[in-house]
Amino acid sequence: MTAPPSLTKDAAPTRDGAQAKTAPAPAKLRRRSRSAVARSAGGDRWTIVIVGLVLLAAGVLVALLSYGIFGSARAGRPLLDPMIVDTLRSQPLVSRIVAIVVGVVLALLGLIWASNSVRPERRPDLLIDGGPDTSIVVSSAAAADAVATQAGGLPGVGRARARLVGEESAPALRVTLWLADDADVRDVLRRLDSDVLTTARESLGLSALPVAVRLELDRSQPTARVA
Amino acid sequence: MRVLLRILAPLLGLALAAAGVLFVIEVVAAWVRPDATTGLVVPWPDWRATLESLTWADTPVPAIAITVAVVGLLLVLIGIAARRSDVHFDAPSPEIAVTTAPRVLARLVGTRVRATDDVASATVTASARKVSVSAQSWNDSTPELRSTVTSRVDDLLAELPLRRRPRVSVSLQERKGPR
Repeated sequence: MTAPPSLTKDAAPTRDGAQAKTAPAPAKLRRRSRSAVARSAGGDRWTIVIVGLVLLAAGVLVALLSYGIFGSARAGRPLLDPMIVDTLRSQPLVSRIVAIVVGVVLALLGLIWASNSVRPERRPDLLIDGGPDTSIVVSSAAAADAVATQAGGLPGVGRARARLVGEESAPALRVTLWLADDADVRDVLRRLDSDVLTTARESLGLSALPVAVRLELDRSQPTARVA
Repeated sequence: MRVLLRILAPLLGLALAAAGVLFVIEVVAAWVRPDATTGLVVPWPDWRATLESLTWADTPVPAIAITVAVVGLLLVLIGIAARRSDVHFDAPSPEIAVTTAPRVLARLVGTRVRATDDVASATVTASARKVSVSAQSWNDSTPELRSTVTSRVDDLLAELPLRRRPRVSVSLQERKGPR
């Protein structure tokens, strides 16, 4: 296991690298930093709400039908209506093909949903353009460990963890800081920005690196109850 | 709720996929074996006979419909309640987003309140919008203790670079017995 590289301004690669061409707009950066706060559960939330709404609507409609709200004649018909069965039997080929397509679509949607839910979060490596014939790849773990090591040395920070997230073309950094009880939060954030993140951007040749900082409290030391 | 969402989402996805696969298997099996009287994997001919004999008004149908509706409502509530409840801080630059959990804010407030003289114990609940402190005072405490606790919490919130300052409510109860 290799030690994480230290991020210093001397190690800065060429500034005309691919990722240092133009800085994205501040609004876009703000959006990327906010979305890096944690792994998004938006897809799962929307899907589960839609499935829930479908079940709710179906359950309510069937309950109303059962209690005769739509007429007692309808409520008295069988669940598998002979009229529907006759219609399906009159077009057997079409019915079977439609049923198979519906089954395949259901299976695919279910598999896509399940695989998206359990897929590990991406940890993109940083691709730095070192010149016309040179391409430098900084591994996600190395870059994140270097930032975490420097952030962990800030006054008021007990320990720190960092992780690169997002797409390779638009990476973002997620930093978790465990603060001491007496830490000055304002000062920690200012030092993190000026001493750690600015250096990291310059060292990695990035014009912009959205960062999501998560603050936690370090485990407090138990104090003696009897002097 | 987010943990429940993380567990439920892949399970529901797999259930949906399994239902789709079984559906395709049975349709294809019924197509290639037109004389078969039983299903390949699931006994759908028996289910079909039951569905043909039951009407919408028969006994189990409304109960099952209500159960399905309740399950649907629960899923909707889980989806809505699984949003993040972070406390946001002002960041030193626009490309930094700073957040913390409400329990961290509650722990900070609780530590500050418990350090106040005449406070025997305190319970704090916090969100991005409101901080509620429920403190117990010793029976010989001063009458101004509530305002003292409130000002200490206000001072702490002023020290933190919170994007939105939460409202503070303090309730004080007197603890019986000697200190």
